[in-house]
Amino acid sequence: MRDDTRVEKPPRDGGAPVARRRAAGGWKAARWVRRAVQIAVLVLFVYLLFSALQRRSAFPYADLFFRFDPLAAFSTMLAARQWLPHLALAVVTVGAALVLGRVWCGWICPLGTLLGWFRFRAARPLAPRVPPRLRGVRYVLLGVIAVMAALGSLTLLVLDPIALLTRTFTTSLIPGFDYVVGAVESAMMDWGPASGAVTWVEDHFRGTVLPVYQPHYAQGVAIFLVFLAVVLLNVFADRFWCRYLCPLGALLGLVAKVQVLRPLIGDGCNACNACMRACRVGAITAAAAGAGGSGEAAGARARVVTSECTMCLDCLVACPEREAMGFGPALRPGPWAEYDPGRRQFLAAAAIGVGAVTLLGTSVARAVKSPGLIRPPGAQDEGAFLSRCLRCSECMKVCPTSGLQPSLGQGGLEALWTPVLASRLGYCDYACTACGHVCPSGAIPKLGLGDKREQVLGVAVIDRNRCLPWASNTPCIVCQEMCPIPDKAIVLSGQHLITRPDGTQDYLARPKVVAKRCIGCGICEYKCPVEGPAAIVVLPSNPSLAVGGAPGGSSSPEG
Amino acid sequence: MTMEPLNRSEFVKLIALGGAGIAVLGGPERALAALARADNDLDRAALDGDVVAAHAAAGKILAVAHGTSAGTNTKKAIAAIGGMRKFVSPGDVVVIKPNIGHPRAPKYAVTTSPSVVATLVSLARQAGAKKVIVMDNPVSSDPAHCYSASKISAAVKAAGGSMKVMGSSGYKRYAIPGHLLKTHPLYAAIVNADVLINVPIAKQHGSTGLTLAGKNMMGCTSNRQKMHTLGLSQSIAEINAKLRPELTVIDAMRILVHNGPSGGSLSDVRTKNTVIACKDWVAADTYATRLFGKKPGAVPYIKAAANMSLGTMNLSSVTIRKV
Repeated sequence: MRDDTRVEKPPRDGGAPVARRRAAGGWKAARWVRRAVQIAVLVLFVYLLFSALQRRSAFPYADLFFRFDPLAAFSTMLAARQWLPHLALAVVTVGAALVLGRVWCGWICPLGTLLGWFRFRAARPLAPRVPPRLRGVRYVLLGVIAVMAALGSLTLLVLDPIALLTRTFTTSLIPGFDYVVGAVESAMMDWGPASGAVTWVEDHFRGTVLPVYQPHYAQGVAIFLVFLAVVLLNVFADRFWCRYLCPLGALLGLVAKVQVLRPLIGDGCNACNACMRACRVGAITAAAAGAGGSGEAAGARARVVTSECTMCLDCLVACPEREAMGFGPALRPGPWAEYDPGRRQFLAAAAIGVGAVTLLGTSVARAVKSPGLIRPPGAQDEGAFLSRCLRCSECMKVCPTSGLQPSLGQGGLEALWTPVLASRLGYCDYACTACGHVCPSGAIPKLGLGDKREQVLGVAVIDRNRCLPWASNTPCIVCQEMCPIPDKAIVLSGQHLITRPDGTQDYLARPKVVAKRCIGCGICEYKCPVEGPAAIVVLPSNPSLAVGGAPGGSSSPEG
Repeated sequence: MTMEPLNRSEFVKLIALGGAGIAVLGGPERALAALARADNDLDRAALDGDVVAAHAAAGKILAVAHGTSAGTNTKKAIAAIGGMRKFVSPGDVVVIKPNIGHPRAPKYAVTTSPSVVATLVSLARQAGAKKVIVMDNPVSSDPAHCYSASKISAAVKAAGGSMKVMGSSGYKRYAIPGHLLKTHPLYAAIVNADVLINVPIAKQHGSTGLTLAGKNMMGCTSNRQKMHTLGLSQSIAEINAKLRPELTVIDAMRILVHNGPSGGSLSDVRTKNTVIACKDWVAADTYATRLFGKKPGAVPYIKAAANMSLGTMNLSSVTIRKV
């Protein structure tokens, strides 16, 4: 598809207009294909996010992007010291990188696509002034992630781009979206003609596009600010994150050093540097002035650095010479740049990794089990869990009660943004196994409903100084009423009819926890009508409480 | 000193109460048997004469249908109190409020039987209802889950009704009769319905004694907490004073006798094969307490409602029809 007819438009990037027209046509079409692929993949990514939004049964491919993510796969298998077949599709991504370089970054990665859309005018003059050595940062980050993973810690997977974007959607963008919809709906409900539309939207979209309940997440704002910072770094250079910081890009960049099919600049180059100016990631080194033509030395031409190139085709569209650029096979590894990882970066990564794991290991979270540290069902072995969890937040998003929250301090900094059950915000639904089914790495095991119901997350404990029937003789049985265990882990004792001062009557019965039956699902804490902190809370399971167990032996000493 | 001669129904009532009083000493089972006998007597006593006509006119007929089919029982019970057309006029918007409080399968006797609900949907549609909407605000888990787990959703849709999720934007604050709540948020579509049919399942409950029709209306509010803290039984009576369902049908095909209201164990379920229908929910609840071997006074919200004159606990003032 040539567009020879369109002569009126002056080229943006300089170069000879006539020649450019002739050259660009085919690559332009290819670039449209790339853009279409990017949009389609982003749509798929968002669709998958919504396919696992507050559900008891999620779409089985909800974690598809993580399965193709080699950084997640490599570091998780390293930390867990186990081959995880579920993450094996990452081999496909690595294989693609061997042939086509960082095609993942330029065509697939949803974060890369989004960052490509946020372009700032300021970046044009600033980008050339960002020191190239900064590109080494991502290799150091990759090295630190690898060293820490080798020592069993996945803490820095918070920087995985897929996890970063998923977490941002889970904790801030989707809740924000629902909040806006809710606010608009409330405003419209008061105006008769619009209320029908609100009802229609609610009837058709609540539970699919719109979450069943307005989700609230701890640190949603902080997580959003991290995302915002990644976007705003584009002020200094287009796709700043992808150029300088992304550890997944670093991994694929290393593979791309031996990329087989490379963008090559050949003899036709007239050294106009149009390609270099067009490149969003600064992957093209400038041609020396006066270079070009067949007789010149190869080094003087513009050159594409494969470990930086995202295969976006912008340079090919920009090149005014029909024969100057193209793809060709190459078997020799690309040259090592000054910012590519060397001995110093390896040493730095090793030192930072070992130091981080050491310091995190001395965290107070390792000394005492934090009261807030209730893990999802089946993830009770804390060490094993931490060396499997991708910090991706899929479990938090799918949780139908939004009870799974990103942790901040509960498990120490080491466990940053791993899921904890915050029962006051949401409970572990007795009929739900969703978190284990969306977990990409198996950190939360896939359990059948029967097995899941036997997972003890913690144990409920009643605070008799705050519980209504205990503290103020006010009748209340909400916790017992909510307890989903068929035999009831909360029983009522001393049920008798009382007459209130105003002459009305109610039953007064006092709840007690039968610790050995309690699985710590937290619905009692969630539903407790006492304002503020609940009068019944789930604490990490405590075998010494479960010994007595009988209805008489409640979780607090006096009966 | 002269004494008014007792008419027949008063005489029977006296005997029944006396008999029940004596029988209480012998245990609730016998008391229940005595009450049941008294019912039959009342029934027969009232079937002829002016009383039945008067009761029919005032809607004071309480139908008790027995049989193994929930659907047939429902049809018989509704027919016995005058048919659905007595309650639903052509073009009406009908809201049916079952108990779908927890995500349990029907066999656990935690949620209203799907066939009872579906039969009411069909009857309402046959009576010319423009729309029949079924809804509840489940206490645990989310509505869609409870709707499907209880099998009510599928049954209602098959019968031509629709299920509605009670989203938070649909509640409005209403003035509530009585001294406790004053105002309370209720679901506007329920308050505004032309006809409200209350269809609870009869089950045991730890802080009200039993969950029957009165308690079931708690599914119309978004603020249960206030009701619990202010005084549950009186609050229940008060929201009923505002909601005033046109018809109450109690599903007692199987009842939950322990570990209510959320249940989950088949060993707590008893089969009663009974459906009760009455315009007066207080009377219906009063009757239903007998299925548990309890006296209506043991369920404080029934008493609170009777005190507010929302209905009668005096079953001798209604005609009981067993069908």
